[in-house]
Amino acid sequence: MQLQKAMAHNPRMDVIVEGIQMVSGLLLVVFLWTHMLFVAAIWLGVNAFNTLAHFMDVFGLLPATVVFLILVIGAHIGAVIRRVPRQWQEQKILWRHAKLIHHSDTWSWLFQAITGTALLALAIVHMAVVTYGGIDANLSSSRVHGGFLVFYAVLLLLSEYHASVGLYRVFVKWGWVDRHSLKRVLTVVSLLTVVIGAVTLWIFYVLGANA
Amino acid sequence: MSHYDSYVTDVLVIGAGLAGERAAVEAATQGLNVIILSLVPPRRSHSSAAQGGMQASLGNTAMGKGDSPDVHFMDTVKGSDWGCDQDVARLFVNTAPTAVREMAHWGVPWTRVTMDKKIYDGKEIYEDPEKVGLIAARNFGGTAKWRTCYTADGTGHTLLYTMDSMVLKLGITVHDRVEALSLIHDDEQCYGAVVRCLRSGDLRVYTAKTTVIATGGYGRLYGASTNAIINEGSGMALALDTGVVPLGNMEAVQFHPTGIVPSWILITEGARGDGGYLLDKNLHRFMPDYEPVKKELASRDVVSRRIMQHIRDGYGVESPYGEHVWLDIRHLGAKHINTNLREIANICKNFRGIDPVTDLIPVRPTQHYSMGGVRTNIDGQAYGLRNLFALGEAACWDLHGFNRLGGNSLAETVVAGKIVGHQIARYTKEVSPDVKFSLMEEHLHQQVDRVKRLQSCQDGTENVYQLRREMEGILSRNVGIFRSEGPLQEAVSALHDLYERSLHIGLRGGGQGGDPELGAALRLPGMIRLAYCIALGALAREESRGSHFREDFPKRDDENWLKRTLAYWPPGADSPVLQYEPVKITESPPGDRGYGESSRASATDKPR
Amino acid sequence: MENRAVLLPQTNRDDWGENMMHARTLTIRIMRYNPAEPETKPYLQDFQLTEEPGMTLFVVLNKLREEQDPTLRFDFVCRAAICGSCGMLVNGKPTLACKTLTKDLPETTTLLPLPVFKLIGDLSVDTGVWFRDVSLRTESWIHTDTVFDPDAEEERMDNDVAQKIYEAERCIECGCCIGGCATANIKPNFIGAAGVNRVARFMLDPRDQRTDREYLELVGTDDGVFGCVGLMACDDNCPVGIPLRDQLAYVRRKMAQSAWNLGKTK
Repeated sequence: MQLQKAMAHNPRMDVIVEGIQMVSGLLLVVFLWTHMLFVAAIWLGVNAFNTLAHFMDVFGLLPATVVFLILVIGAHIGAVIRRVPRQWQEQKILWRHAKLIHHSDTWSWLFQAITGTALLALAIVHMAVVTYGGIDANLSSSRVHGGFLVFYAVLLLLSEYHASVGLYRVFVKWGWVDRHSLKRVLTVVSLLTVVIGAVTLWIFYVLGANA
Repeated sequence: MSHYDSYVTDVLVIGAGLAGERAAVEAATQGLNVIILSLVPPRRSHSSAAQGGMQASLGNTAMGKGDSPDVHFMDTVKGSDWGCDQDVARLFVNTAPTAVREMAHWGVPWTRVTMDKKIYDGKEIYEDPEKVGLIAARNFGGTAKWRTCYTADGTGHTLLYTMDSMVLKLGITVHDRVEALSLIHDDEQCYGAVVRCLRSGDLRVYTAKTTVIATGGYGRLYGASTNAIINEGSGMALALDTGVVPLGNMEAVQFHPTGIVPSWILITEGARGDGGYLLDKNLHRFMPDYEPVKKELASRDVVSRRIMQHIRDGYGVESPYGEHVWLDIRHLGAKHINTNLREIANICKNFRGIDPVTDLIPVRPTQHYSMGGVRTNIDGQAYGLRNLFALGEAACWDLHGFNRLGGNSLAETVVAGKIVGHQIARYTKEVSPDVKFSLMEEHLHQQVDRVKRLQSCQDGTENVYQLRREMEGILSRNVGIFRSEGPLQEAVSALHDLYERSLHIGLRGGGQGGDPELGAALRLPGMIRLAYCIALGALAREESRGSHFREDFPKRDDENWLKRTLAYWPPGADSPVLQYEPVKITESPPGDRGYGESSRASATDKPR
Repeated sequence: MENRAVLLPQTNRDDWGENMMHARTLTIRIMRYNPAEPETKPYLQDFQLTEEPGMTLFVVLNKLREEQDPTLRFDFVCRAAICGSCGMLVNGKPTLACKTLTKDLPETTTLLPLPVFKLIGDLSVDTGVWFRDVSLRTESWIHTDTVFDPDAEEERMDNDVAQKIYEAERCIECGCCIGGCATANIKPNFIGAAGVNRVARFMLDPRDQRTDREYLELVGTDDGVFGCVGLMACDDNCPVGIPLRDQLAYVRRKMAQSAWNLGKTK
């Protein structure tokens, strides 16, 4: 080992970063799924949704969630960035490689990097809008009807894809479960969540149209 | 041309298989500088392909109880049909147990004795609880006890990887993808080698106090061989080329009873050792008819001959690749086949598309091992040239005589590596090199000249691959399991012509850089010389001994032929010259092997 | 003894010919490159030959070299899937050429050298040098203070432990897991599945006296097991069927545990 490395060396560094990546990722998945269930409250009607929103407001959960997200997303990006091919040259190699070896898990990683980057932008917009406007069924429905439908549909699909693939990798990397059956289970779970999200969106859209 | 890389070292080992690496480890441990040359990355050497195991009389298993070096000695001598050097055999059997344990210390994950239930040949085997955790052994042909130590289905692989890990640990220099073209010598001493880099095609000069040949066998001289394609006898050809170093017993060629048809990949003897049967076209288990005692596990020469005899009698299974017999291991069960014999299962699936758990395996005797090689004394020193050593399959140390027992070749590599390596170290410390520059230049320029002539087709336009196929055909057809004067005579004269033609090879591809065709063209004349020695030795030896079976002289003749063939190739000659030396008998005078043709005669001919 | 009524085994059927009445003409598209002539860029060259029963890529490539282009470069040694010399991309899949039967291939097959490794020429790559470097960096040999005693009985070992070591030791260093690995393609120091598996072999071995901390420094890094992003091309492509994903997960967990323990003792 070189001198400078030895002096600055912490043998646990890479494990810790790996741990941060995994834990932050898992937290985001948990958040995402909870979020999907919460917004699905609209299935029960506008009042149910607003009650829940009000409840969150009273306990100051909205700003807390935003702070939580900023921290966790920040940590996730910080940990993941060392993996993402940053240089143009590396990108080129990766794309060529994926095309060469016809291997679906390799493709899914490239998509994961892309969806991750896109999600960052979309999530910032989403969070800004929600923080600025607050949570209210009418606001949401008019937003969805007023041109944001595509935005939310894309956000839904990308986040579910990213979460599903990310979760799959965590299990694959740490062992315990058979990865081919894992893939099937996760696909089913993700499709379910997408369906829930899509139905929710549709309800908002209809509400917006009728308003 | 006088620009070339040159390297100087104490010990130059040509060949990075088990034997070469073991000797290098020994020499390096004793403080010497060692360079190992290898055709391929060391871990790709053919040693890795040995699946079966390594014999050493540890006697840990129930079926090996009472084993000792003495029993191992008698098995080895009998197996060799009294053709081996008994001093060497004695030294070998005494050292083998230590060598196995040493390999365990270095990291080989030997299969260990367990109390798991084992059924063999219908009987249950009860292991001694005291021995649990010690190195286990399996049954192999021609042995009185279960003595073959093994790691599941990859003994050679684990031995080689472990040995190579020691080479890494000791920081021994390895130059891979190089090929030695000639030994630098002055008819008295050897000073190193002229070497071609197979990456760039550049020639290099290596000078050393001692040079060691550990290049393995010559299986690929035959068209159908179980050997890796790099086993072309290159080290033997280097030694023969000097004109002063003889090759011993080149006519002693082993045919393994079970090469899979038609890729000729080896199905290990472990298959029969673990209880496999040989069946004919009527699915009749025929070996007990010939060998009531040892059945499928008589020595390899005997089993191979019995199979061919049975096929000749009309019981072979017909196929587009010639007649064959079946190997049946179905009754061993899926679990056993997929762990201890997994390699067999893989070979059957990958190369034949069958599953040995449910299917029969088509097999036929296939060239497998060369007992002959560079003749050395018990210290591994080559005859005729000082500072030159040889060991392993490349050498005729003479542990195997006219037939090698299964499990004795892996054992030889490691044991000889230890013993000869020690002698090399001892010897090298006393040598002071005085190589003349002009001698190096002379040898280098000979090779430079050869390369140029081949590239420019100056000597002719013979096609190297075509000549090679002809050589393979001659040996396979005429110098196989059953031999007799007519075909042998034919082979000798055909090889004589072929050798002459091989001096007129011209390249079709230009031969620039590390060109493979150039490599083949540089190698072929030496290979044909080896083939010539095999055929001539077989023609001259008018008796049957071990794997050398003459139909016109079916009996062993100790009165006239208890001697070792030494083949020389005088400089510039167009054929080899044969000489003979007596075989050393110290403990066991020639007798009956207890299996094979003589046993049948003495067993008052049981009706088949 | 001539009991003809014996049930014939499955393999007694005549499957030798694989019905070669209509032998296919195969097109083999091979990448050609000679590093000695860097001005000629790598290109694909088509070769045609007639398929034969039981033909493997070993047979195909040798036939092409002997009959069509003697300068064609590729590596084979054992031709029996034991030595690991002939790893290449067969229609994109990293695998051993020697055990690839042509009957499993389409009429046109593209052969490329394995990525990551240094190109020697055409299909020949320097896997040996790469693996030697990794073995040296991971110090892949038994580290022990005990001295061999030639007169002593061998140290005992539970057979299950021996089997586990062997399971990892089976790697033939063909490089298929490395060539197919996206990370190995962009990170030159990444030791890949083969490297991690090799270290796992020593971690499992009670004869090796290295401590958890030493292993952590060796493979608990971004060049070691934490460089892996879990694409599992290694696991999908290993031609000898080593459970690489299990080995990677085993080392990963072991390293996490070592780091945890190290944190506690601080």
